[in-house]
Amino acid sequence: MARYILARLWQGLLVVLGVTLVVFVVTRVVGNPVDLMLPLSATAEQRAAFAQQIGLDQPLPLQFARFVGDLVTLDFGESVWQRRPAAEVVFERLPNTMLLIAAGLGAALLLALPLGIIAATRPDGPVDRLIVSAGLLGLSMPQFWVGLILITIFAVNLKWLPTSGATTWAHLILPAVTLGLAPLARLTMLTRSAVIDELNKPYVKTARAKGMPAHRVLGIHALRNVLIGVLTLAGWELILALSGYTVVVETVFAWPGLGLTAIQAIQRGDLFLVQAIVFVIAALIVIINLALDLAFKLIDPRIDVR
Amino acid sequence: MLLPRLCLAGAVALGTAGLAVPAVAQDITIAIGSEPSTLDPQLRDDGGERQVNDNIYETLMARSATGELMPGLAEAAPTQIDETTWEFELRDGVTFHNGEPFNADSVVTSVERIIDPANNSEQMGYLNTISGAEKVDDDTVRITTTGPDPILPSRMYWMKMIPAEYGKTGNIGEEPVGTGPYKFVSWDRGNDIVLEANADYWDGEPAVDKVTYRFVGESGTRLSGLMAGEFDVITNLLPEFVSTVPNAAAVDGLETSVLILGTDNEGPMSDPKVREALNLAIDRDAMVEGLFQGYATVAGGHHINPRAFGFNADLEPYAYDPEKARELIEEAGAKGKTIRLVGESGRWLKSREQIETVAQYWTEIGLNVEIEVQEFSQYLKSLMGDGPRPDAIFVANSNELMDADRESSFIYHMEGAAASNSDAEMAKMIDDARVTTDTGEREALYHAIFQKGRDLNYTAPLFNLQDIYGMSERMSWQPRTDQKLLIKEMSVSE
Repeated sequence: MARYILARLWQGLLVVLGVTLVVFVVTRVVGNPVDLMLPLSATAEQRAAFAQQIGLDQPLPLQFARFVGDLVTLDFGESVWQRRPAAEVVFERLPNTMLLIAAGLGAALLLALPLGIIAATRPDGPVDRLIVSAGLLGLSMPQFWVGLILITIFAVNLKWLPTSGATTWAHLILPAVTLGLAPLARLTMLTRSAVIDELNKPYVKTARAKGMPAHRVLGIHALRNVLIGVLTLAGWELILALSGYTVVVETVFAWPGLGLTAIQAIQRGDLFLVQAIVFVIAALIVIINLALDLAFKLIDPRIDVR
Repeated sequence: MLLPRLCLAGAVALGTAGLAVPAVAQDITIAIGSEPSTLDPQLRDDGGERQVNDNIYETLMARSATGELMPGLAEAAPTQIDETTWEFELRDGVTFHNGEPFNADSVVTSVERIIDPANNSEQMGYLNTISGAEKVDDDTVRITTTGPDPILPSRMYWMKMIPAEYGKTGNIGEEPVGTGPYKFVSWDRGNDIVLEANADYWDGEPAVDKVTYRFVGESGTRLSGLMAGEFDVITNLLPEFVSTVPNAAAVDGLETSVLILGTDNEGPMSDPKVREALNLAIDRDAMVEGLFQGYATVAGGHHINPRAFGFNADLEPYAYDPEKARELIEEAGAKGKTIRLVGESGRWLKSREQIETVAQYWTEIGLNVEIEVQEFSQYLKSLMGDGPRPDAIFVANSNELMDADRESSFIYHMEGAAASNSDAEMAKMIDDARVTTDTGEREALYHAIFQKGRDLNYTAPLFNLQDIYGMSERMSWQPRTDQKLLIKEMSVSE
């Protein structure tokens, strides 16, 4: 087990370095970062001096080697836009993003399991149809649009919740709902179909034939198998959220997280901050993947994780 | 029965009197498009920083709401000692928020710090002619320039003054200290910045007690926040939403949109007749109504802001004459020729719409127009790169110093970063204007420069844009030409 974890961590490190290398090259090849970081009126000398100051005059391999060397100490360089260490900016905004994801996906997961099970126990009944229809609706609406509709209803018209920002718990509700709606729909549908599948399997029928009550069949035997699928999807949702969904939600709700910061850093050509954000997100995704594998092992010891 | 009534009347009287004595606290919230990255007033040149810092710090020279230059922390306009030296008398009895006096030492510290190359200030584009400052006595200071610089007073409208002692050792980027009407209270990164009124402000305590800045980049979210009653002022309101918001105000702004024509290019653009036809083909009045709902004015025949020094009021806006434009295109043998129009989208108000509409007008006079709306860094290369120039390039040009120098040298001067001509005579005129200290002579030079630019159709000027602000019902404020959000000029009714 320990060897497995070490090997996966090593693979993960290579993945993170690979991603970082791609971003490193792209940020330097597409457009000139110096042009983006300096005002239009800057002179050629000012541009040259600035390029030298931030090390952009060095050959690319040397720049990358230095970057990788600094990573050991989590030194991502100075954010040119923020005029402070990029790491400081990343670790200041990361908790906001994690909070948003935890609230959105956490609620989605907590609701999806009972909803999916309820729907599955009476397939094609009125409750099932209602849940399936709502799920389809949740899947087909684009996130930014959901966000704007929620703002219009709950903030502008009803004035129950704030439109944007992150000052109180009330500020978390609308962005978390926006973020969690599509995952909730997907997780509910998956739970529903997985439960229906399991309940039709011979072992369940046998157990029921022996007189075991329905809720025990579901709770003891079927649910464990269902959970594996649901958790896999939840992990995937977490990765999707980290690598993109939060950008949209954070922008619409002016939520001061990493996604919004990434967009601002890209707009300003702040390549050190962009690199730092990509590195941290890539590292998180690798860690989440590993954690999921281990979680499966805990749920079902038969799964081979060597 | 009577006793309770008396009591009630008494209570009402007392209550009313009680209300009348202490003024109701006036707290407002302003949504700005981007969070400042630092509150150091001498580093960045960006919207968010200025919108906050303009209330904390002050400058030697100021501007009225309509743009006239006037004394700020200086007692009066400066006197010119020689070609490269200007002397400022400083206002008496002004103190910084930390109690330090405002005097010649603070001016010297401010000047020396901002021009120090190690400081790498983004504002040097506005201040790069300044070579230093020296104290004459506590209330008098001299600022020197590298050469004759007639617009030094305008430059001092840009340079914010920091305290001598705190400026050297304090954490000025996080805990700013100025002389302005508002004092820094707190900065919750990502969420808000709070300022409170400076009760000891030299020009009298301002009406609004406390202001909270919220950072909302998405214009739709800013609008929602205003509609939900969370914000009192939002910036960059789109013209189509003016009738939706509780209250709105607009003012002629600093931006002028213009198309730079590739005068040096081979093919049709080298022919002045074609360039004239391009100008005559555009129905600018229709665009003002159609695109901006009236919140813009047709540029006055050249791309200079009408309130900037050097604006030539004699130059009429271009007429809309598609017939004549077609004839000119025929005469020049340019019918059916292809021209390339480059611009960007998302950074300036309705830039894509302006580009597409102009392309349509140009197509109507018989040209084949290829539009390229580029990503910003690619666009910067098109605008300022050395490669082949696009035949026409869209720019929203703004002029913070309100002097024609920047606009002429950037776009008309053959060595200007965005120029598309190789007119040495024009360049010489611009160079002369830059160092001429006699105001009348200098103005005449600019008038001649812009007449020439128009005669040869170096650009196709489009519009002077208005800045539109959305406000809550209780706000009362007249926006300023220079885009400053000066809270001391605002008040709220409760």
